[in-house]
Amino acid sequence: MTFLSRTQLITALGAVLLALFVLELVRRRKLSEEYSLLWVMATTVIAVLGFSTPLLTWITHVLGFLGESSTTFAFGLAFSLAMLLYLSLKLSRLGFENHALTRDLALLRDEVETMRHGGGGSAR
Amino acid sequence: MTAARVLVVVPAHNEEASLASTLAEVRAKAPGVDVLVVDDGSRDATTRVAREAGVPVVRHPVNLGVGGALQTGFRWAYEHGYEVGVQLDADGQHDPAYLEALLEPVLAGRCDVSIGSRFVSATGYHAPWNRRLGMLLFSAIARLAIGRAITDTTSGFRAYNRAVMNVCQHDFPKDFPDAPLLITLARRGFRLCEVPVVMRERQSGRSFYTLGKQLYYPYKNLLASLMALIRRPV
Repeated sequence: MTFLSRTQLITALGAVLLALFVLELVRRRKLSEEYSLLWVMATTVIAVLGFSTPLLTWITHVLGFLGESSTTFAFGLAFSLAMLLYLSLKLSRLGFENHALTRDLALLRDEVETMRHGGGGSAR
Repeated sequence: MTAARVLVVVPAHNEEASLASTLAEVRAKAPGVDVLVVDDGSRDATTRVAREAGVPVVRHPVNLGVGGALQTGFRWAYEHGYEVGVQLDADGQHDPAYLEALLEPVLAGRCDVSIGSRFVSATGYHAPWNRRLGMLLFSAIARLAIGRAITDTTSGFRAYNRAVMNVCQHDFPKDFPDAPLLITLARRGFRLCEVPVVMRERQSGRSFYTLGKQLYYPYKNLLASLMALIRRPV
């Protein structure tokens, strides 16, 4: 193998920096392990594809894309879409949970106020 | 009115202007029923107005929408042992004079949900063409789904018996409790019936149906109706 091309170097560097950043976010408890998994996987794929031109060329050939750059963009786009769908899913779930918690909170507060006022009807 | 325990649930979001007269009217025209106001995250004096009227209030810390408010109301009604729950708008659209007629089939056990309908007989209700079109569409969908006609799927003036409230306190549409809700309830085996009512113009405040919601409403209700049809009723 000859010296790395400039593109390979930039890609590799970018992937390593991103991976480090993601891990650092986990270390600082800003990012949960669950979410970091997708990002670590993404950086791994970037690193591998960026490094191994033969692999990228092979995938391009197998999938019938016009060029290696198309393959790269296709993977990037697929990952972005998957991440967005995953986030919408999480957001919906948070919404449902938030909805239920809000209702529970309202009823609990009503109960507490009723008890404080000596049980004479709901918060008077 | 009756010996059975009936709770009128009034979801209210920033309704300080019309709430007092609505509550007073319920008290005057239907003295036998209890009332609960669900303050759905109001920023105005809605809660104070209700308390001054001597009505219990449950307050959401944030706005959940009419579906969430009703869900809270049904759970409260269920936990406090009420036999029937009625949803009644705070804005004065629903005339409490019809409460007795609305409650009668549920109290008599002839149906589980009774819907105050503007279209069962000529009640002089005229909606703008787009609303009218939507109402036709969703009553057609409900007819297909339920197998019988529900002429007024968008009516927010309904009475639910205890079994229905038990289901609704856990499973209820978040924003528009219309056709999809009726389809779900019918698929769960509950009997729906309609009672003719005349509705009035809202006194003040804004309708739940703002422009953004007008665009979202048909999409959401079509999808939710479809889901109500293909989902297994648990």
